[in-house]
Formats: sequence, C-alpha cells, structure tokens
Amino acid sequence: MDKQTEFVLRTIEERDIRFIRLWFTDVLGTLKSVAVAPAELEGAFDEGIGFDGSAIEGLTRVSEADMIVKPDPATFQILPWRGESRGTARMFCDILAPDGTPAYADPRNVLKRALSRAADMGFTFYTHPEIEFFLLKSEHNPGDQPEPIDRYGYFDNAPHGIAHDFRRSTITMLESMGISVEFSHHEAAPGQQEIDLRYADALTTADNIMTFRLVVKEMAIEHGVVASFMPKPFSEHAGSGMHTHVSLFEGDRNAFYEAGAEYQMSKVGRSFIAGLLKYAPEFTAVTNQWVNSYKRLTGGGEAPAWACWGHNNRSALIRIPMYKPHKGGSTRVEIRSLDPACNPYLAYAVVLSAGLQGIEDGLELTMGAEDDVWSLTEAERRAMGMQPLPHSLGHALDEMAGSELVADALGEHVFDFFLRNKSAEWEDYRAQVTQFELDKYLPIL
Amino acid sequence: MPGPHSAPSAGELIRLGFSDLSRTRGLLNEPAVSELFESADIVAFADAADPDIALLGLSNIVAQDEAKPLVDALSQDAQSLQRLLTVLGVSNAMAEYLTRHPTRWLSISPDLEPDAPQRYRALLLQSVGADPQARAPVAAGSAEEQLADLRIAYRQELLQIVNDDINHGVSVERTAQTLALLADAVLEAALAIARHSVGPEAQDCRFSVIALGKCGALELNYISDVDVVFVVESDSEDDTAAIRVGTKLATALMRACMASTPEGTIWEVDPALRPEGKSGALVRTLQSYIGYYERWAETWEFQAQLKARAAAGDLELGQRYVETMQAFVWGAAGRENFVEDVQAMRRRVERSISGKKADRELKLAPGGLRDVEFSVQLLQLVHGRHDEKLRTAPTFAALRELANQGYIGLQDADELASAYDFLRTLEHRVQVYKLKRTHTLPSDDTNLRRIARSMGMRIDPVAELEKQWRNHARDARRLHEKLFYRPLLNAVARLGAGEAKLSPAAAGQRLLALGFTDPDSALRHLEALTSGISRRAAIQRTLLPVMLEWFSRSPDPDAALLNFRKVSEELGLTPWYLRLLRDQSAVAERLADLLGSSQYATGLLMHDPQAVGILADTYELEPRSRMSLEAEALTIVDRHDSPTTAVSAVRGLRRRELFRISAANVLRLADAEEVAQGLSDVASATLAGALHASVKSVTGQYEEDRGVRFLVVAMGRLGGAELGYSSDADVLFVYEPTGVLSDSESAQQAQKIASEIRRLLTLPGPDPILEVDTSLRPEGRNGPIVRSLDSYRAYYEKWASGWEAQALLRAVPACGDHQMARAFTEMIDPLRYPEGGITHDHLIEIRRLKARMESERLPRGVDPRSHVKMGPGGLSDVEWTAQLLQLQHGYNIPGLRTAPTFPALRAARDADLIAGEDAEMLMEAWLFATRIRNANMLVTGRADDVFPGRTKRLAGVAHLLGYDEGESQVLVEDYRKAARHARAVVDRVFYGFE
Repeated sequence: MDKQTEFVLRTIEERDIRFIRLWFTDVLGTLKSVAVAPAELEGAFDEGIGFDGSAIEGLTRVSEADMIVKPDPATFQILPWRGESRGTARMFCDILAPDGTPAYADPRNVLKRALSRAADMGFTFYTHPEIEFFLLKSEHNPGDQPEPIDRYGYFDNAPHGIAHDFRRSTITMLESMGISVEFSHHEAAPGQQEIDLRYADALTTADNIMTFRLVVKEMAIEHGVVASFMPKPFSEHAGSGMHTHVSLFEGDRNAFYEAGAEYQMSKVGRSFIAGLLKYAPEFTAVTNQWVNSYKRLTGGGEAPAWACWGHNNRSALIRIPMYKPHKGGSTRVEIRSLDPACNPYLAYAVVLSAGLQGIEDGLELTMGAEDDVWSLTEAERRAMGMQPLPHSLGHALDEMAGSELVADALGEHVFDFFLRNKSAEWEDYRAQVTQFELDKYLPIL
Repeated sequence: MPGPHSAPSAGELIRLGFSDLSRTRGLLNEPAVSELFESADIVAFADAADPDIALLGLSNIVAQDEAKPLVDALSQDAQSLQRLLTVLGVSNAMAEYLTRHPTRWLSISPDLEPDAPQRYRALLLQSVGADPQARAPVAAGSAEEQLADLRIAYRQELLQIVNDDINHGVSVERTAQTLALLADAVLEAALAIARHSVGPEAQDCRFSVIALGKCGALELNYISDVDVVFVVESDSEDDTAAIRVGTKLATALMRACMASTPEGTIWEVDPALRPEGKSGALVRTLQSYIGYYERWAETWEFQAQLKARAAAGDLELGQRYVETMQAFVWGAAGRENFVEDVQAMRRRVERSISGKKADRELKLAPGGLRDVEFSVQLLQLVHGRHDEKLRTAPTFAALRELANQGYIGLQDADELASAYDFLRTLEHRVQVYKLKRTHTLPSDDTNLRRIARSMGMRIDPVAELEKQWRNHARDARRLHEKLFYRPLLNAVARLGAGEAKLSPAAAGQRLLALGFTDPDSALRHLEALTSGISRRAAIQRTLLPVMLEWFSRSPDPDAALLNFRKVSEELGLTPWYLRLLRDQSAVAERLADLLGSSQYATGLLMHDPQAVGILADTYELEPRSRMSLEAEALTIVDRHDSPTTAVSAVRGLRRRELFRISAANVLRLADAEEVAQGLSDVASATLAGALHASVKSVTGQYEEDRGVRFLVVAMGRLGGAELGYSSDADVLFVYEPTGVLSDSESAQQAQKIASEIRRLLTLPGPDPILEVDTSLRPEGRNGPIVRSLDSYRAYYEKWASGWEAQALLRAVPACGDHQMARAFTEMIDPLRYPEGGITHDHLIEIRRLKARMESERLPRGVDPRSHVKMGPGGLSDVEWTAQLLQLQHGYNIPGLRTAPTFPALRAARDADLIAGEDAEMLMEAWLFATRIRNANMLVTGRADDVFPGRTKRLAGVAHLLGYDEGESQVLVEDYRKAARHARAVVDRVFYGFE
C-alpha cells in the first residue's frame, strides 16, 4: 500500500469520515457518485467497487454492464459543506473493465490517453480555465424567464451584494478543497460571475472543474440563489464561456516560448495553434456540446465564430495573450470557444490532440487577425482563409462525424456514443416550436 | 636465455603465431626493436594472442624517445617483456596508451594485488590534485590538466586490470567487480573536478552519486555506459540552492568523464534511469525521490533500483538513498498489482530480446547476456520479497543464491553460470581490443583468432571458439525453461539428496507470476503427469518444463495445462505420442499453443486424440483440396452398405478436417480466406458423400433403376465459399425425372433423397452435425424442399422477387448431376444478371429491405456495433454492397458474375464502379469481422456473431488475431474503426447517401 493510500485511510479514521463519495463522470460530463462506507474503502483501493455501468450514459455496451470504479487516492478531499464532525469525503475514480484494464468509455481515461500521447512526444499539458456562470434569483420552472440576481456589469464592485459574498465564500470553499483560485470578478452581463482557476496539469484541472461546478451550485443554494453554467441563458446578454489558457512544457521548460520569436511564440507553439485552427470545426461539437452552446458562439461580441487567431484579439478563436517580459514560463495560448457546460475531460482531450497533430504534421501558422472578426465582411474572412465554426449543434455533429482526429482522440466507443446521443438531442430540438416563431409568425401568418 | 640471438627462422615465427612474416621481419629490424631483441628472446611472444599486433604495438612504443628506460628494463626482465607482449597481443588501446607514456609500464605490478581497488579512490583523487582526506575533495590546477591527469590515472589502473586479467587469469566476476570499483573512483575524482569548476558554493551541497545497472551491481564491462542518479541534500533548509548547485555539479561531473581530450575520453555517464527519464530533473533531494517513487513509479523502475549502490560523493546520503530504495523494492506491504507488473515485466524481457536475432549478438540474442541478467532479476523479484538471501545485486552471486535456496536446480545453475561466464569473457575480450562499446562477436578470422587464443584455444582456435560459443548459446537458449519452469517440477517431485526443493508456496508465487491463475490446480496436474517411475512419467518430466513455458505464453495457461493432462491421459499409453512430443519440439509447441487458446480445436482433439499427429507436419496443416476430399468421401460411402454407417464415417472425415483447419487457423498457418475456403470445401465434400449415400439407399445400387437425377446447389456462404465454423450449409435441392417412374413417384423419390441427406447429416453421434438449410428455396418455408428443374423454371419466370435474384447471385452447383448443373445455371443467369441492370424500383426495394433488416434482424439487447454480422460495417453490409453492384452491372461486366465477395469487389473496382480505397475498406472490415467470428468459435467452442464483451474471451480472441497480451482494448478500437470506415462506404455506395 502506498503512502498516499495510507494517508487517506488514516485521515478517514482521524477525521471521523462517515461516507466517501466516489466520483466519476459520464460521457456528457455529468458528475456521478457512489457512496461507500470507510470499511469498504480498503477493498476499493485494491480491487475497485463493482457497479452496473449500463445505467450510466455512454459508459458500456449492454453486454458488459459490470464495471469497476477505482478511487485515485491522490484526489482525496474532505467535502467541507457537509458539516465538520461527521464528514463526507470524495475521491475521483478511474473506471475499469472487469479485467482491470482502463475502460475506453471513461472520459478520464480519454484524457489520460491524450496526455500519454503528449508524454510520448515529451510534453506535459497545462491548462488554466476562466469559468463564467450566471447567478439567478430562483429555480427554473418550465415556462419561466430566468431573472439575474443583479443589474451590475463588468468588474462592478457591488457593495454588500449577494454576488460579492457568494464569490468570497465560494473561493474560500474552493481553496479549502485545495483548488487555487487565480482571480474572480463580476462579468459583463447582469448576474454573471467569473472565477479563474490556477493553472495545473490538464487532468487535475478537469477534476477541479468537476468539483468547481458542484461547489458553485452548493454555495449558490446556501446563499438562496441558483447558479447556472448554461452557455447562453439570455438572448440580449453575453453568454458564459470557459476560455482556457493552454501550454505545453518539456520538462521544466515552456515549449511555447522562444526568446526573440514573434510574440515569443516557438515553432512548437505556432504549429500547435495551426492544429487547433485546422481541426476546430471538427472538435467544436465536443467543446460546445449543447444546442444552446451555439446561441453563444454565433451571438457576436467576444464569442468566436471563426477559426482564426490574433494577438490580444478578443473576437478570435485563439488569442495569444500579451507577453510579459522575463516570464518565459508563462507563454500560452487562450482558446475561447469552450463553454463551462462541456465535459472538461473530453474537451481538453480533443484540444490537446488537435494541437499535437499540428505539431506532428509541422503545420504552418497563417496570418493572424488583428481586427474585430465580426466587423469583417464574409468575403474578407474567406480571403483570409478563416473557416467558420459550426453554427449549430447539427452542423457541428456533421463535421465531427467525418473527423478521424476526433475519433482517435475520443476512441471509437465514446465517439460513437457521443454522436448518437447528441444527434438525438438535435432532433428533439428541431421539433420544437419556439417563442421566437410564435411571436413573429402568429400575428402575421 | 638473455643474450644475442640470430634472426628467427620462418618456422619459429609461425610457431609463435605470427601470420605476416615479411612485416614481422621488417618490424624486428627496426632499430629500437632489434636493440631490444639483441638481449631478449623472441619466445617472449609465446603467450601473445595476436603476436602481429603485439609486435606492432611494441615497435610503436619503443620507438618513442622517452622509451629508453623501458627498453633497458625490458632487456633485463624477460618476464616483464612477456607480460607486456601478452597485453599488447589483446589490446590495441593499451598499446596506444603506452605509446603516449612508455615508461608507465614499469609501474605495473608484476603480481596480483587483490587489495588494489581499495587504493583507487585515493590514487585518482590525488591525480587531479584533490585531498582524499577532505570531506568534499576539490581538484586543483588547470581544468585541462585535471582532465588529462584523470584519464592517465584511469588508464594506468585499467592497464593493471588488463594485465591481471590476461596474465593472471583473474575471473570475469572479479574483473567486472574491479572495473566497477575503478569506475567509482573515476566518479569521485570527476566530482572533485566538478567542485573545482563550480567554486566555493559546491561545499554547501551534500552530493551523492548512486550507481545503477552494471556498475551498481559491481559487474561492469571494460567499456560501458555507467548508469547513475544524483542525490543532493542541503545542510540548511534550503533545498532550492542545493538543487541548483547539485545540477551544476552533476553536469560538470558528467562532462569530466565524457569530454574528449588528447588523452581520450573515459566513458559515458548515463543519468537516464532517473525519475521521468530524459525529461526529469537531473538531481533531486532524497525526499523528492521518495515522493516520486511513492506516487508515480512503474515496476520496471524498481527493477532498476534493485542494483542501486552508493558509488561516490557523500556515501552516508547515498546509503540512505539505497536503503530507501531497498524498502521500496522489497517493501513488506508490497505494491498493488505486483503479480501483473511482474508478468508485464516478463513480457518486456521477452520483447526486448526477441526479434533481434542478429547472429553474432552477445547481449541481445535470446539466451544472451541481457536475457540471463533480466531473467535472474525477475526471479529475485518474485521470490526475494519472501527470502532476503536473494536480495543480492551481481548476477553471478544471485544465480548461486537461487540455486542454494532451491529456486533453480544446482546443475542448471552451474551450466548457466558457466555459459554466462563464457559470454562475459567473450564480451570483455571483444571490448578490450579497442575499448569500444560493442557486444557483437566479430566474424573475421583475424579478430576471432585473437579472441580465441586469448582464451587459451591454441589448436584451430577459430573453429574451437565457434564450437564452444554455439554450445553455450544452445544451453542458454533453454534459459527460461531452466530458470522458471523446471524447478516447478521439483516442487512436486522427489529429489536426490543434497538438492534443495522449491517449496509449494514459492512454486505458487512463481506460477502466478507466469500467468497461471490457479496455482494449486496447476501443481496437482503437474504431480499427476510426472509422478511415478514409469517411462511415461520420465518423459513427461523432460517434456513439461518447456511445455509449461509455452502454456504460459497462451491466453489461458490453466486451461492449457488441464487440457494437456486430459490428452496425455487419453494417449499416454500410445507409444508414438510422447515420443513425438519429445523428439519434435515443433509439435509440442503447436500443441501447447492450441490447448491454451482454442476450446474448439481442443474439443475436436478430445474426440480423436490421434489427430495430434497432424501437428507434426506443416504440409499436413494445409487445408486439403475439395477434389481429394470429395473423392475420399465417395470412396468411404462405397465401402459401406449401410447409409448410416457410411455417412457417420464421412462425418468423421469432416471432424478430422475441421481439426486440421482450426489448428492451422490457431497456429496462424492459414489466413481468414483460406479458412473460409477450406471449411466450404469440407462442407461440400460432406454433402457429396451424404448425397451419394442417400441416392444409393433410396433408389438402390443400380443407376438404370433410378427414377430421378439429383442436384444440390450451394447457396449463401457455402455458395460463396465463405463458410465459418458455425455456418449452416444453405442449399437448394433440384431433381429431374428420368422417365423410369411416373411424375409423382419421381417427386416422391426426390423428396426421400432430400430428407435422407438432412437426416444422415444431423443424426446424433460423436461427430459434429452439419445443418442443411433450405430456406432460400422458392416460397421459402412454405415451399416443397425439393423441386424439379422445370418447376424452378416456372416459378422463377413468374414469381421471382428481388431478394431471390439477389440470393441466386451466390448459387453454385455443389454436387450431383453435371448436366442439370449447367441447365440450372443457364436458367438463373438472366435473373441474377438482368440485362441493363436491375430496375430503379428493384434498387429501392433492396435498400429498404436492408434498412429494415438492420433494425429487425438483430437480437434484442445487443449493441448493433458489436454485432459483426448484422451491425454497421459488418459482414452483411459489405456483402450487400458487393451484391448490389453485381445486380446492377453483372450483365455487362463478366468479372462480377462470381459468388464470393472479394472477387466481385475487385471486379467492381477494376471497372471503376467503386473507388479502390472504398473497396479496400470494405474488404478490410469484412476480413476483420470474419476473423472475429471465427475466433469467437475457436476460443469458446460456441458460435457467436457478437463481439466478445467478457474480457477473458476477448483476450483469447485478441491473442488469435495476433494482438499482444493486454492489448484487447486496442482490438476493440481497431475493429470499430474499420467498421466505421466500411459503414461510411456502404452509406455512399449501397444507400446512395452523399
């Protein structure tokens, strides 16, 4: 038994932990949980805990319903909001097939495979997400219009506002769970918040995002409000994105950094970006997986709708942030299409795979866009070689269905399940008659 | 006999071993040389392995201006001269060193000094101007001098080691140990140089060099990478500074060893075994190593730590590192997955040596040095957790200890030790010549002769060396058998006095590591097979170690051993059986593979153990031709009066052929297409036999009495010659009245023949039945099972529907009346290849039918993607696509008029009806699905069109498809990818989606 496992068992004893939640994620990015008593945990470390995988979205084929979850002791964390003395703790789990090999359907495993491909090329992948979400006044009931908790805007410091208290207590909670917060502020839209997590390796970040979403929802309830990661709840306001800064390291060295190059961006970095741009239309279904995601992407403003890059250009898909002198380690690339309702494991896996493919194929980066992309004409954009990102989930799925890159990154099982599940969602949506149609057509037709 | 000598005769020179006489004379006449031999005797060359290079070396050395004292001394000291020539006769590198520093030979001690290594550290430190007494010695003088002086001091001690090796016959084990100790001193001196270059801050950092690999194990070669890791510790709390300074020290230390100077270089220092390998930090604190090994390390990394030894620098810190690692390696709590990891390690060992059969490789060949070393380490890891005596680093010592404690046989250990000794000696002699890092035995006579003579072979040395090498290599090639498997038999056997015995617990641990999941049963089987004093048991005892090795490589070693016990008990008394296995190892290996990977083939074998003989001959494993099978079936029927016994004999023939084909399939001697063809041929021959027997029994012996002529038309997979192990035989029965009987009597007779065929082929019996399926007949299940040719014609002209035309694409007369066969074919051709292709309505109908089948024909609850027959990209997708192209274009492209799928697809491709790439994807998916279907049957003995979900079966299927152990998931991925690609083609070509 390794030290970390011993540490976990000892902590459970000393802190009187009564339940341990074993967390894992289904293909759509929903957090799943199995609770076990401390007595069962030692066995869980050795052999994992069996469960019926057929009940979980996308996890198994019917023929092999028996799956195993095996906790990763390095992710042990006491859940602070369940009370102090009779505590609950959680660990993230890997999902295994009955023979103990990793399940290809486990999103965590999908990301691990992509990371190991990076490791084979000598790279570690770091990510740093800026997560936006809305605080709303009340639970949603069918037919309701959502109502934001305030009318403030970007960086407004609302005195004694709920949002202020909420952010402070959420950050305290996150920090107490070992998740470092870089930055937080009120975002542009009413009720919209942004909290940035400190950069970490992509697997840790993805685990942290899963925790983050839960903590935010729990804390909102404690403050008598409701948090939502829906990408675009208001037609008239900006949507919520999850801009992610990414970088590759070779050992201790930032592989994106090259002194003296334009934007201090190395050949590796440029090829990585070129890969992202080339494959962005194919992987957008994964980074933006809901019908509603496309309302944000095509909504103008700071959301990207074309695969292009710019230096400090907030309307481009890829932004190379301003270089800070003497900070070679901080050279990075911001990808702006992701939204906070994605499955972070899968999203980071496809983003990384696209970038690595760019490096492997030695793709050259074309000219950057320094203008607001929204203000260009269609002809200008075409002349500059910008591919549009998919404008709807259906379109995105068509692009993805033909993508070898995404199939390789997700594995055939997840690839296939994802396409089927999302196509069904798209079909459901297309059958809806919207408020827009009623308001516009009923009076005149 | 000092004194003036006359010029030696040619005979004298030849006896001394010179080969280039005219050059020898020239060299002997050079002034310095001839001056020397005025007083010295030429017989001083007697012990030189290669007198020519010894003389050449000598002449270069004594020609130097500063060589005068050496010449004077050698003139007076015949023994010193003789030893020098012996050294020069094996090492060109040593001659070069002495050419630069001739008088250094005079410092070489004539006698063996066993305690010399203890002085290395002080000597080498002093050579670079450092104080050996200092806590952290620092070199002095200019950087250039330090490097040069270190190299000279190193070579001087190396010269002494070569001298002791070649003149005193020091053992390889001892030489290797001395070389490692010298390497320690070099590292220490290099560290002193590093401290000098880093400056005062070097004193603040406790720095230790840990040797791993051969240096760590105290068994270094003459020239080899020295594997190290660096540990630092700060006296204060500040580790950051220690790491920064330590990194500088480590870098400078490596440079001091590796830099090229006029005095040459020493050897490469390789820090690649550190955590995270080449991308990891060069130095770490002990805490940081612990953190890494606790959380991230893989088992093989612990394997490397098995040899960790504090070599230089702060030995106290180094010792703490070593002790910590020992705790990790042998940790009582143990790491999870230990057994799986050890198994994976065994695969790594096998992979790292297999495939590299470079003929003259001393290191990487099977049974080569690496193989011995890894195998010994593996046993240490398996048993060392429970037995501390095994935790010793050097290979020789570990081998002795394993034998002493009974983990391997004494005699096997002796043989292995002597083979290892021989290989290491060869390696040393190859390397010492030019101090080049090489592990290949030269193939030219000059080099071989030098090496052989240096090992004391004087008569026909080259041939003698080759002979001894082959002998040892042969011993070593059975290394795994001796190390891993034979001792298992000792666990269940009575042994001679003095021989230690493997305990049942240790045997169990070993069996687990070798992939058996039920060690207790395995030991019982072994005991049953080998106990007793019968000849049979004696043969089993020699046979089983190697059989066990093969079993352990199969996907189900437990089943393999059990099945072997069953077959052996069935056949044990048959005289040829054990002899065959003992004398023909290829048969035994094939049998082992078969028993451990196929229940189907094993099942067939159990009914007829004699069929083992088929495995003896690769020719016997080729599927037999349809013609010879049919001839045999008909002869069998003619030999019997009773149709029942006749067809039962034909079914016996079929079982033997099924075994032949399945065995060839399992042993990868037949590919999927050959298997399909072979199975179809066997089925056709069986049908021919059954038809013949039925006609005889229904209509009597005599042809002129027969009321009907009869034809069996193969349909479906049988028609396409694409049968699987579990496929039914799809057929149509056709007859034609001869006029002897009335129409209704003829019809009755035909009906009887058809029923008799089906009855005979499905009668209960020991041999597998052949299900005959006539549901493709006109009117399907509602129609009569046999019709006259005219009735078929009338039906097809009037009623034939789309699916029937499609089914007829694969109609091929199988057996029966030849004239009828021709008539039948002519009758159906216009139907299946309609002029101008099928109509648009017909096209739509076929597409709809297929679309409906995709949703309706799948068994409930099965994921369509895992159904290799009906699922997307499966067999039916590919076949329907080919068939549609045939229906559309068969009328004007003759190549399309064929029953099997692949020729049709190729013809369509050649006619540009389908893109070459698309045709490839379809064929790839079809072959893949066919292989999985066949493998399903072979592994479990039960038919299944569903991709295996149960992981043990999946592992078996993956093995049969040639995937490595642990790669089952890759198979799933590969299949789904192939199927997805094929489905995309089907969507375009068959359904017309764009």
